[in-house]
Amino acid sequence: MEKLEKIDATEKGRNYRILLILSVFIFTVPFWAGLIPGSILHMDIVNLMVLAGTYACAVIGLNLLVGYAGQISLGHAAFFGIGAYTTAILCTRMAWFPTWLGVILGGLVAGIIGWLVGVPVLRLKGHYLAMATLGLGEIAFILFTQLKGLTGGTLGILNIPSLSIFGLEFDTEFKLYFLIWAVVMLMMLLSINIICSRVGRALRALHSSDDAAEAMGINTARYKTMIFVLSAVFAGIGGALFAHFLNYIDPASFTFFLSILFITMVVIGGMGNIWGGLVGVIFLIFLPEVIQGLPHWIPLVPESLTNFGNYELVVYGLLLILFMMYMPKGIAFGLSRGTSYAKTKFGHLRDRISARKYEGH
Amino acid sequence: MKADEKRNRVLWCSIAVVALVIALALSLKGSKGLQWVISGLTVGSIYALVAMGFSIIYASTRVINFAQGEFSMLGGMLMYTFSSQVGLPAWLSFILAVTVVTALGAGFERAVIHRMEGASVVALIIVTIGFSIFIRAVAKWIWGTDPVKIAAFLGEEPLRFLGASIVPQSFWVFGFTAVAVILVFLFFNRTLPGKGMRAAAGNPDAASLVGVSTSTSSLLAWTMAAALGAAAGIIIAPINFAAYSFGVMLGLKGFAAAILGGLGSAPGAVVGGLILGVLEIMTAGAFPSGYKDAVAFLIIILVLLVRPQGLLGKPEGEKV
Repeated sequence: MEKLEKIDATEKGRNYRILLILSVFIFTVPFWAGLIPGSILHMDIVNLMVLAGTYACAVIGLNLLVGYAGQISLGHAAFFGIGAYTTAILCTRMAWFPTWLGVILGGLVAGIIGWLVGVPVLRLKGHYLAMATLGLGEIAFILFTQLKGLTGGTLGILNIPSLSIFGLEFDTEFKLYFLIWAVVMLMMLLSINIICSRVGRALRALHSSDDAAEAMGINTARYKTMIFVLSAVFAGIGGALFAHFLNYIDPASFTFFLSILFITMVVIGGMGNIWGGLVGVIFLIFLPEVIQGLPHWIPLVPESLTNFGNYELVVYGLLLILFMMYMPKGIAFGLSRGTSYAKTKFGHLRDRISARKYEGH
Repeated sequence: MKADEKRNRVLWCSIAVVALVIALALSLKGSKGLQWVISGLTVGSIYALVAMGFSIIYASTRVINFAQGEFSMLGGMLMYTFSSQVGLPAWLSFILAVTVVTALGAGFERAVIHRMEGASVVALIIVTIGFSIFIRAVAKWIWGTDPVKIAAFLGEEPLRFLGASIVPQSFWVFGFTAVAVILVFLFFNRTLPGKGMRAAAGNPDAASLVGVSTSTSSLLAWTMAAALGAAAGIIIAPINFAAYSFGVMLGLKGFAAAILGGLGSAPGAVVGGLILGVLEIMTAGAFPSGYKDAVAFLIIILVLLVRPQGLLGKPEGEKV
């Protein structure tokens, strides 16, 4: 037992260091991103990163659920939407309603609904769970569209106020960037603490075999529900931030496609890798922009690539298939293998240099 | 034996409930109720065909093919291209459309599923979802977003029956479904390859020991499922139109029907499909039509929670 805790502690330390370095990088992005002239870049990095941040909230939670607890959800757009609608309805109906409280309540309401749904549904396994969560996502979408008195139907909700916390207005993308990524980093911190703990070990056990975990005295139902609710809360908060970022929501933003996009992000980033979710979100948010930018950067690349929207889904579909076939552990795993490879190479080099020094003496 | 008795009881109970709902609709709404029942059975037959596609693949490989609905969509769109755009006769267009989709299904099995032996359930679900997104996107590229109309096989003049009107295409739907169900049932229960496929799903190692090729049975299952799916999409197209986006809902409903009836059981797929079709039309009549799909999913989730193996499915023995 002590040994396990020791392994977890070193793992935790390693992830804390990565988190620190990543935070420093992420929080300096808005300062240098503006310096690159738009005629070269052809994308608005800050804007894309804010959107990526809201999605990241949902994807980090979903990665805990799919990658660690081994439970699939094809309906996480529902929780994202519930968070968005909760804060949007509260803040547009009552002008005095504090927007930060709306975001918290968005997460809370998504969590409560996640719990109500999760307790019965998580008894199902594999395909049945996939079907049930998919059905829940569809029901949520239909309710967003049909409860016109509450949600505004297909027209959605307009004029959602910008976020403000105790008089501090987050009314520009530049300001919002720091708030949203601070939230994302907090979620990462929480995830690392969960994964490198007793709970994390229990999750890994039930991922490999429900029955074996049960036999070792792990209350699998409780852990599954816990992670499901946590992922719903994360997604709800992400959705609420999304609503305050766009100032406008409609049901079309929370379709089955968004649930699939979340799953795609988890898979491409790396299922069961703490950093996988983040990598997947950033990769898929920037992929369309990079492809559309190619004709500007490289001569002879056809102009038609700029209409990425036309064949975006062809690429996503192929990516899903190819990643599952050839890189089922995702980009994050590839990156970590790459760095460890670099480290050993670098280590050899260092050894050789020190050896040479020694010979020189 | 006890499980079998219980299954029979469940079967009769569900048939009784549906009969009650139908009787209620007929007595309260008269000819309008009859209209609902006929529309419900027509739609339900299509769900049954799609559900059988899911069941065939599941029964022989334990894979759920989330692209099953796209096979139907593709069938309908190709039928439109061959019959309306190229101008071939209906029977030839039908054969060509089914052949193309079948080749696609078989090709996907060889190129992807075959190479992913031993992958996790989640990985296989994701791969077939990727395939469905891919097919849909390519279809949107080729045919655009507008729904297209396909001429009915035998006239458009509706028949009058006790105050309700029936489009002749409905008979094609009923007839084709009945024939397909019987053939599939006979194939799996009376022929050697069919029995082999069931064996391959039940215990792959033992099956290969007695000479059943799991690889062949997987290919065969995908081929049959693609052909059935394409045919379902083609025969419903004259009633419901066809568009690149129709595969999603059809796939979801077909999957729902398969689970409702019990995954991997051909009679279950039919029972599930018909129940779903009738209930759906009834709820569309009773509630605002926007809630139609929500009610369908709600019913399925409730059934799953009470009877996770579906109405006619056998409870699975859990392997540790």
